[in-house]
Amino acid sequence: MKRRLISVLLIMVMAMSLLSGCGPSSGKEETKTTDQSVSGTKEENKTEEEKKEESKPVTLTIGLPGGYDVTSKEIIDGFRAAYPHITLVIDEAPWGDFTKKITTQIAGGNAPDIWFQENAAVLGYGDMGAAEDLMPYIKRDLKLEEYASNLFSAQEGEKVWGVPHGGNPIALAYNKDIFDAANVPYPTDDWTYEDMIEAAKLLTKDTNGDGTTDVYGLLTAGGITDGWFPWINSAGGQALDETKRNAVFNDEKSLKGITEWVNTIHTYKISPSRSTNNELGGTAQMFGNGMGAMMFLQYSLGSAVLNTNFPDLNYDTAKIPLTFDGSERVVPNVSNTWLIFSKAKEDNKEAAWTFLKYYLSADVQKLVAESGSTIPVNKEALAYVDTLQSKPLNKKAYTEGVDVAGVTLDENKCWNEWRTAAQPIFNDIMDGKTDPQTGLNQIKTDVQKILDENFNE
Amino acid sequence: MRKSNFWGLLFVSPFIIGIIVFFVFPVLFSGYISFTKWDMFNPPKFVGLKNWIDSVTNPVFWISFRNVFYFALIFVPLQTIFALIIAHMLNHKIRLKGFFRACYFLPNITPWVAGAIVWKFLYGYDFGLINHILRLLGLNGSYWYDSEKWWVAIGSLALMNVWKGMGQTMVILLAAMQNVPTEIVEAAKAEGAGRTTIFRKITVPMISPMVFLTMILSTISAFTAFDVFLTMFDVYSLPDRNSVVNLMVYREAFMYGKMGPASTLAWMLFIIILIITVIQRKFEKRWVHYEN
Repeated sequence: MKRRLISVLLIMVMAMSLLSGCGPSSGKEETKTTDQSVSGTKEENKTEEEKKEESKPVTLTIGLPGGYDVTSKEIIDGFRAAYPHITLVIDEAPWGDFTKKITTQIAGGNAPDIWFQENAAVLGYGDMGAAEDLMPYIKRDLKLEEYASNLFSAQEGEKVWGVPHGGNPIALAYNKDIFDAANVPYPTDDWTYEDMIEAAKLLTKDTNGDGTTDVYGLLTAGGITDGWFPWINSAGGQALDETKRNAVFNDEKSLKGITEWVNTIHTYKISPSRSTNNELGGTAQMFGNGMGAMMFLQYSLGSAVLNTNFPDLNYDTAKIPLTFDGSERVVPNVSNTWLIFSKAKEDNKEAAWTFLKYYLSADVQKLVAESGSTIPVNKEALAYVDTLQSKPLNKKAYTEGVDVAGVTLDENKCWNEWRTAAQPIFNDIMDGKTDPQTGLNQIKTDVQKILDENFNE
Repeated sequence: MRKSNFWGLLFVSPFIIGIIVFFVFPVLFSGYISFTKWDMFNPPKFVGLKNWIDSVTNPVFWISFRNVFYFALIFVPLQTIFALIIAHMLNHKIRLKGFFRACYFLPNITPWVAGAIVWKFLYGYDFGLINHILRLLGLNGSYWYDSEKWWVAIGSLALMNVWKGMGQTMVILLAAMQNVPTEIVEAAKAEGAGRTTIFRKITVPMISPMVFLTMILSTISAFTAFDVFLTMFDVYSLPDRNSVVNLMVYREAFMYGKMGPASTLAWMLFIIILIITVIQRKFEKRWVHYEN
């Protein structure tokens, strides 16, 4: 009997050891606060309430998709130094792996206390109840006049499901050398889409006379952020309506914008085809290689691609052009968004909010700005961005553009679903496989079906 | 006797527990989930046959099955035939035999991502190698994996999958060929049989159980193929005409967080594979020769 008991215990130990390999600890780096070398100026600015919180030690798990490549280590170390009572456990993984495993972590109830992801995903988490509503925290602790409007990019109704990790808007990038060679004046902030197209016609050249274009005036993109979304807005059209529950897509204005988008390739021939673009590495790569005079450039690509791979490229940016009739400007802005897990313990939620307040403070937002990969949300840091000497020098094209005319990509809880349905048809339109009217009609039908399924459940 | 049963069970129990936890439970649980609406956060909500009805009434679902069948139809015979021919060639006494065996097996251990980069270059419309050769011959280039014709796009990927999977099948068939008794081959030679006759009348029948096994495995791998589609198609801009069931499952589960429809699709795929395998087993006796 005794031997059996020992045997049963042995089995349990073996089984436990077999299962332990799948525990949540893998990929996590627990680091107690020891580094005091980082400036602790935050200590002086803490409120009484915060000082009370400090009496209670908390272990906060923080999810960092992309690790320190996406979120500066200096920021994390600064938090450790400023808040020694909070022990940080870093849960990091490459971006793709993180977004896959977070789904199962949420299902298992063991997601990090705080992490960030694409804004659309965060809206979905809010809808299912996995994200904490941050509106009460924001009302309690933040001075709204200190932040740009995209602080609320994860707002739905009265609830705010997250705050920005950073913004990634677009601007019109132009190659100064190509403009100079063609004696065409640089783009200005009062350019319309029409002006951009006319300039691109002058800049498109067959430099060696072999009958094929070597320098394109404009590198038209096919994706959503720098492709069809700004173009659908270029004549005042829309993808979804203001409620984000109804598809628009095929109204007259949207059709005009998308028709012009396609015309840049097939009629005006000022832009390469989608296949050429893809095979030559994408718009940023072609722009860097001097094969295009202008392109819509996402902020992060400036530092990640152009400044890194083409340090000698002589380029700058202007704001995204005004609509064809000159009446308005629309600047698409993609956000990654921090959220707090709704199932976290109350103490951990407060500690997570403490981290977010720290992250949104002017000093830390300046560190965000210096990373060059994202636009901060704090206005003081936004002004600081303009003083940075890295290319493009005219960073106001981004900071002012997004502050005054920034819009999300019509994100809602089923954004991933509807844009996945729309994108292949936009590709067909761009390739000339479908005409714009037929394609937009199809997109409207498909997207509306998805919206109905998700909002009328 | 009872004592030996006890110790036997004791030693296999960790594995039994593993199978129950990691296989039996997930399979049964996904069956249950297929009748629910579940976002992986809130408790599953029973919806009856809704997911199953939605799936079979969704035209994209049938397009996906058409594509997978077409993919399997190209992939399974081509891979088997090429693997058989190459295994036969490498079974002879030729120079650099080891080198050639390694070359043919190399794609099998090449990561899909790396393979996809090479094949995208080969299949490129403007600067791709295949179109370049076609244009040199005075022919028009064509879109391949990104063609608006579904049968060209899916067919392109099936050929790529043959390149990737042929090495493994070739190794299995080569091992089988090396087990063909030499005395039978020698006797056939003595009777005046040529190489082709020996291959057709002796080698192929003798290795037919292995050919059958590789065909079953290839069929299953064709229906469960995922990496080739994920790396060659952009999952965020996949047109319905090129959809396949596995990508539908991936999108529903991990991009949209809809585990109910995802589980339903996975079960439907399982049922289809089961039916195909049973049919293959039915035809097995007609052409597979077992030694006993």
